[in-house]
Amino acid sequence: MTVTVAGSPAPVSPTAGALWRRGRAVLLVAVLVLVAALVPALLAPSEESGRYLDPGDTSLSGSGALSALLTAHGVSVSRADGVAGALAQAGPDTLLLVTEASALTRDEASRIGAAPGDRLVVGQVPYLDVLASGVTARREPARPRSREPGCALREAVRAGSAHMGGTAFTGPPGSTGCYPDDGRPTLVRYATGGRTVTVVGDGAFLTNRRLAEDGNAALAVNLAGARPRLIWLVPPDADDADGMGDDDSGDGGSGGGRGLGDLIPDGVGWAVVQLVAAVGVVALWRGRRLGPVVAERLPVVVRAAETVEGRGRLYRARRARDRAALALRAAAADRLTAPLGLPRTATFDEIAAAVAVRTGEDPERVRSALYGPPPADDAALVALAGHLDTLERQVRES
Amino acid sequence: MALTGRAGLLAALGAVLVLFAPRPGLAVAGILLLLAALVVVDLLLAGGVRGLRFQRDGERLVRLGQSVRVGLVVENSGPRRVRGVLRDAWPPSAGATPRHLRVDVPRGERRRLETTLTPTRRGDREAVTVTVRSVGPLGLAARQGTHRVPWSVRVLPPFLSRRHLPARLARLRELDGRHPALVRGQGTEFDSLREYVVGDDVRSIDWRASARRSDVVVRTWRPERDRRVLIVLDTGRTSAGRVGVSPIPGAGGRTAGWPRLDWSMDAALLLAALAARAGDRVDFLAYDRGVRAWLSGASRTELLSSLVTSMAPIEAELVESDGPGMVAAVLARARRRCLVVLLTDLNPAAMEEGLLPVLPQLSGRHLVLVASVADPKVAAMAAGRGTAERVYDAAAAEQLRGERRRIVSLLRRQGVEVVDALPEDLAPALADAYLALKAAGRL
Repeated sequence: MTVTVAGSPAPVSPTAGALWRRGRAVLLVAVLVLVAALVPALLAPSEESGRYLDPGDTSLSGSGALSALLTAHGVSVSRADGVAGALAQAGPDTLLLVTEASALTRDEASRIGAAPGDRLVVGQVPYLDVLASGVTARREPARPRSREPGCALREAVRAGSAHMGGTAFTGPPGSTGCYPDDGRPTLVRYATGGRTVTVVGDGAFLTNRRLAEDGNAALAVNLAGARPRLIWLVPPDADDADGMGDDDSGDGGSGGGRGLGDLIPDGVGWAVVQLVAAVGVVALWRGRRLGPVVAERLPVVVRAAETVEGRGRLYRARRARDRAALALRAAAADRLTAPLGLPRTATFDEIAAAVAVRTGEDPERVRSALYGPPPADDAALVALAGHLDTLERQVRES
Repeated sequence: MALTGRAGLLAALGAVLVLFAPRPGLAVAGILLLLAALVVVDLLLAGGVRGLRFQRDGERLVRLGQSVRVGLVVENSGPRRVRGVLRDAWPPSAGATPRHLRVDVPRGERRRLETTLTPTRRGDREAVTVTVRSVGPLGLAARQGTHRVPWSVRVLPPFLSRRHLPARLARLRELDGRHPALVRGQGTEFDSLREYVVGDDVRSIDWRASARRSDVVVRTWRPERDRRVLIVLDTGRTSAGRVGVSPIPGAGGRTAGWPRLDWSMDAALLLAALAARAGDRVDFLAYDRGVRAWLSGASRTELLSSLVTSMAPIEAELVESDGPGMVAAVLARARRRCLVVLLTDLNPAAMEEGLLPVLPQLSGRHLVLVASVADPKVAAMAAGRGTAERVYDAAAAEQLRGERRRIVSLLRRQGVEVVDALPEDLAPALADAYLALKAAGRL
C-alpha cells in the first residue's frame, strides 16, 4: 500500500550554485583577511635577518652605523667571518674586534690571543682566559644601563656616560677599569706585551639601536677607531655553514661529523608531507556525516520519589529527630487503629491503652513509644522505629 | 560530495612511492594532483542523487514495545546507476534499524528498502530526512544529497493491562444478563419475563403477568446499562514523575521508571475496555491548563482504537494543573449524571491548592472516582530501618503517606471514591472499583 502524504518528498541539500552564493561572502572575507595578514609580512624588513653586531647590517641589532662612522673617521674597517681570514690581516697597527666568540673553538681563541695588534673583546665571550688573560668575569651579571665613566681612561672620560653593563670584570694588576657597577668595572683595559687589550661587558652600545644615545657613539669610535685598521671578526653566516659542512668553523665542538638530519634522505621528509595529506584525506572521509544530526525533544526524566528523598536528606541534615519521630509515630498509630478495633479518630491515649492491654506490655513504655518526648539522639530514633515496629507486629499477631 | 576510505588509502600508499622516488617533491605534487583528478572524474561519473525520487509505504501505527517496518522506494530516473549508502534518519527514540542501508539502483529502475522501527516511547515519530551517498565507479569519491520524505508513525500506549481484561469480563458477565438476577436491587433495571422454573425465588413472580398468561412468570433484572463514564486524565506536572519499573526498555533504562501518565493511561484503557463491554458510554478528557484531548461519542467497537490514538501524542506538561478549569471543563461536557474517573496524583500540595476546593461542585452532580499511582519507592523507603539515614528516609516517606491518607479521608468524606494503588496494580484496582460500583448500582 502506498500512501501519498501531505508534504511531498523533496531534496533539501543545497545545490552547488546555492552553496557558492551562500559561501562567497565568507570566502571573500577569508581571502581579504589572508591578504591583509600576508602583505605587511612580505613588505616589512625581516627582523630575523638582523645579525647582531655585524658591520654590514643596518637593522637595529646590527652595527652598520658604527662601521660608517669609523670609515668617515678614516679607519679602514674590514669584516672577517673566519678566524683564518682575520689573523691573515692582523698586524702591529691593527685592532681586532671580537664580538661574538661563541662560535669559536678554544684552539681558535688561543690563535687569536697570540695574534699581533690591539684587541677589543665585547660581550659575553668564552675563553676569556686566552683572549684576555688576567681578566676574569664575575659571576653576578650587571644590568645594562647608562653609566658614568668613573675612571681616568681618556676615551671614556671624553665620551661621558654610556650604555654599559652585562658582565663585570676583575682586571689584572695595572689595568684600568671603567663604568663600574657596584665598584666592579664593566670595561677593563690593560697593556700586555706592547698590545692594548680592552674587554667590555656588553656590546649593546655598538648597535644601531643604541649608538645615538648618551656618549655611546663617542665611546665606540674612541675604542674601535684607536688604530688605522679595524678587523671586525663576525661569526660565519648560518646559511653558509650548511653549504660548507666540513668547514672547521662550522660545527662547534661536535668534531666535524654529519648531523642526524644529514643522514635522513630527502624522500622521508616529503613522504611525511604525503602522509599528512593522506591523514587529511582520511579526516575528510571520516568527518563527512551521512545526513544531518537529528535533534529530538525529550521528555523530562524526574523520579516521583525525589521530593521524598529530598525531605529525608533534609531531616538528616538538620537532625530533625522530633519531626521524624512524629511522622513515624503518627503512621504507627494510624496502622494500629484498625487491628485494635478503634475508630480513626481515636486519641493517642486510647490507642496506647488499647495496645498495652492487647500486648500486655508496660503501659508507661507503650505511651512513651507512641507519644513520648522526641528521641535524644539518632540511636534513640532508630530504637524508637524498631520499638514501634515491634508493637505493631505484636498487635497484629495477638 | 564525500571522499571514501579508498582515497585515503591511495594517498597513504603514495607516501611509500614518495620514499623511493628520485624527485620526492615532484612526486608529492604529482600524486596529490593525480588523486584530485581521479576524485573529480569519480564525482563526475557518480550517479546523481538530486534527481532520485522517493516514496514511502508501510505501517503508520505501532504499539509501544512492538516493532514496525516502514518501506522506502528509491526511484532512479537519472542517466547513471546510483550505488552507495542510504541513511533513513528517524529521531533516536524511534529506534530505527539498520542505521545505514546499502543501495544499488540501476538507471530507470526502483528498489524498495525497509527500516524497522522499535520505538521506546509514546507519541508521533516523524521521519527526518533520507540521505544518499552515491559512490563513483572508482570508489574514491561520492556525491551526497539529502531529501525530505515525510512519514510519521504514531506510537500508541501499549495497553499492558489487557491481560487483566478476561478476568474482569467474567466478573462482568456474572453481573450481566447472562446470569440474570431475580432479585431487584439498586442499580438494576427490568430485563425480561420468563417462565418460572423450580428453584426460582417466589418473591420474583410477577403476578399480574402470570394472571395474563396461564403460566407462572418471573421477572428478571439486569444491571443498568447505558451509563456514562468520563475518564479525565491529569497531564500536569505531577503526571511527569517516574514511578516503578518501566515495562518498556527505554532510553533511561528500566529502573528510571515510567511516567505516572503512562500508568494512568494503562489503567484508563482497561477501564474503557471494560465499560464498553458493560454497555456504558465512555468519554475521555485530558487536561492540565487546557484541553489536551477530548474524545466523545465513539462507538463501542471503535472506542479502544480511537482512545489509544488520541492518547498517543499526549505528553506530561511541566505546569501546575488548573483544578477549577478541569472541573469546569468536565461540568461543561457532562450534562447528565455520570461516573467521572479522575486519574491524577494525590500529591498533597497540588491537591489542596487545585482540586480539593472545587471537587464538591463535581461530586455534587456526578459520581467521582479519583485514581492515583502510589510510588513503590516511597513504600520501600517507609520500611527502611537499621541506620539513622534509613530511618530519616522512612520518616519522610511516612510523612508523605500520612498526608496522602489525610487527602484520601478528606475525599471520602466528600463522597468521592479513591483508588490509590501501586503502578502495576492500578489498572486492575480501578477496574475492580468500577465493577463494585456497577454491582452496587451506584453508576
